Amino acid sequence: MLVIKNFSKSYKSNKKAVDNLNLEVKSGDIFGFIGHNGAGKTTTIRSVVGVLDFEEGEITIDGISIKKDPVACKQRMAYIPDNPDLYEHLSGIAYLNFIGDIYQVNKNDRRTLIEKYADAFELTPNLGDTISSYSHGMKQKLAIISALIHKPKLLVLDEPFVGLDPKAAHTLKTLMVELCKNGSAIFFSTHVLEVAEKLCNKIAIIKGGKLVSCGTTEEVKGNSSLEDVFMELIEEQ
Amino acid sequence: MNKLIRLLSVQLWAVLGDMLSLGKSNSNKKKPAVLYAGILFFTVVLSVVSFIYSFMIGAGLKMFNSLDILPALMMAVACAVILMTTIFKVKGTIFGFRDYDMVMSLPVSTGTIVACRLIILYSFNFLFVIILTVPMMIAYGILANPNPVFYFICLLVMFFIPLVPIIIASVLGTVIAYAASKFRHNNLLNIILSLGLLAVVVGLSFTVNGNGKQFVDIGKAITSQVSSIYPLAQMYTEAVVHYDIVALLLFISISIAAFLLYTLVVEAIFKKMNTLMLTGRAGVKFKMKELKTSSPIAALYVKELKRYFSSSLYVLNTGLGIVMLTVAAIAAIFVDLDKVLGDPMVTYMFKNNIPLVITFCVIMTYTAASSISLEGKNLWIIKSMPIPAKTVYLSKLAVNLTILAPAVIDTVIIGAAMRMGVIKTMILVLVTITCSLFTALFGLLMNILLPNFNWTTEVVIIKQSAASMISIFGAMAYVGVQFAFLYLIPGFLWANLGYFLLTLVIDIVLYMLIMTYGKKRYLAF
Repeated sequence: MLVIKNFSKSYKSNKKAVDNLNLEVKSGDIFGFIGHNGAGKTTTIRSVVGVLDFEEGEITIDGISIKKDPVACKQRMAYIPDNPDLYEHLSGIAYLNFIGDIYQVNKNDRRTLIEKYADAFELTPNLGDTISSYSHGMKQKLAIISALIHKPKLLVLDEPFVGLDPKAAHTLKTLMVELCKNGSAIFFSTHVLEVAEKLCNKIAIIKGGKLVSCGTTEEVKGNSSLEDVFMELIEEQ
Repeated sequence: MNKLIRLLSVQLWAVLGDMLSLGKSNSNKKKPAVLYAGILFFTVVLSVVSFIYSFMIGAGLKMFNSLDILPALMMAVACAVILMTTIFKVKGTIFGFRDYDMVMSLPVSTGTIVACRLIILYSFNFLFVIILTVPMMIAYGILANPNPVFYFICLLVMFFIPLVPIIIASVLGTVIAYAASKFRHNNLLNIILSLGLLAVVVGLSFTVNGNGKQFVDIGKAITSQVSSIYPLAQMYTEAVVHYDIVALLLFISISIAAFLLYTLVVEAIFKKMNTLMLTGRAGVKFKMKELKTSSPIAALYVKELKRYFSSSLYVLNTGLGIVMLTVAAIAAIFVDLDKVLGDPMVTYMFKNNIPLVITFCVIMTYTAASSISLEGKNLWIIKSMPIPAKTVYLSKLAVNLTILAPAVIDTVIIGAAMRMGVIKTMILVLVTITCSLFTALFGLLMNILLPNFNWTTEVVIIKQSAASMISIFGAMAYVGVQFAFLYLIPGFLWANLGYFLLTLVIDIVLYMLIMTYGKKRYLAF
């Protein structure tokens, strides 16, 4: 579903934010992407979803290059950033309808899915209010709903659990599992290692822009906890 | 005082950074130098234009022994400019600015924060005063050869001119914003109230000395009217022209006292007004209704249109042109130009210059010039969507052209009211259409070249960003091209036809640039 090959990204200071990254996310995977602050997680994620331009390497979604046909790739994906700044002048329902129009979700599916996910996240009573009146957690929920209503084949999330209340976090985990059972794939970054350990079937650890460990969760953590493995890898010179 | 200076330096630099598209501070070290040069160039150009105007007006006044009204006249113009621009700046500069939460959480008194915001407001208005007053001073100096005391008094008083107009405009702007905040669709109400105020002011300007016989009478009438409404104008004249020290001291002390009092009032209502403006309204419990679907381009267009009307600042700063043109079109129906101007020759010259007036109003409606930057922190939404850059650009152009659409009807009305004839009116309409396209395309291209997504207040993007300023001044320069066509090519029809064809070619080139170079730039946003 997602193939990242020899991907590198430098900013103007010539420092490589990501250096020769290779990884693959298959259909049905819940792939956790973990690393310290500034390791290159967000740079990688933004490049995958086509928000950040890059020169070195190749990223394909469902076999299609993000560089050669970004529109086709984005049609198959959904992205939720770590701090989703949404259109404050729109109401919640207007924003969801806007996303539905962009992704050409048909009317029946749109209504059904909005009702389903808005009820699941207990956001339905607030959908008529402008987003400017939402708390951070409500915006996060709305962003998640907007990502799910067009049934993406690849869901890319940057620290999705930040700002969610425990019930919403549990709902999101349930929906992620459901999505993958239906053939989609999820690629997400998180600092919450317990969640990554329980939820993900595959894990990649990035340090200083380089991949230091990648494989199934069992392969990566071995007999230790993911936290111990992570701390050991990060502290290595 | 240290905290004020520290806060001011940070906030002023943040505002300047937004203006000069310095959002990505590491991205291009050459950019600030080029932009500083650009801003300096435009300031110099405006000052030169201001000098030419002052000199021409002064020379005319001198012929009728009325040169002494020149300083008061330019002071009135400066006050009017400050008034009209500050009303729409209140929300975003004094109240409702984006980093309010961060600033208010600092161990700094509210009074210091208020002083800081007012100094920022004063600084930008002071620039208008310099551009209008210094050239006037030079022109008056050449024409009247005054005592050197004139220059000293003029320079001294210059620092106090903006104070009272800022107070008046801020009070009006605050009242409008407060009234609007009580309603659900408060932005829309803010826009309607502000535009209503503008329409009244523009409409009233048509009543200034209706006989229109002599230019001097118009000048005297304006200054007389301003003095009756704004007594400080009379004090200014006495101080600057007649070197009246009492008038000078009164002008300065009244300005300072009023501003200090105003600062105290603002401090008292600062938190309440910001709470009102920055808090969204939570409405009734939502119930799902029938959902309407549309195409991606239509969805983007509607989103853009809603974004435009959600910001009173955006509407009031980029929609003035079309409002003025519409008011002028309505006035043209009721005002008999021959009666007002009196002289058939003057009427003929006025009618020949109508295309300039229309074009000027059109270019003032430049919504596209800030439309990309205003995506701001929402940029990730459109960039992660399965829509090509072309669709995004077309939606922004469509909004600008929608706002300008009434210009076509206004042009037809003006042509009919002035009895220009069908052919001339049709040519005018063609000029209006191509100029509207030019305004939208040029503005969008400038914003593609000079985007800034890291801003804290909309006002610096809409009014003061490099893209907006280059768009408006570049478009004004293009009006100069129209002026050249009108005066160098004989015949109204040929001159305007030539200008229409040139503008059409330029529009095509701009469109191609946006759809080729602009597409590549989109990837780098």
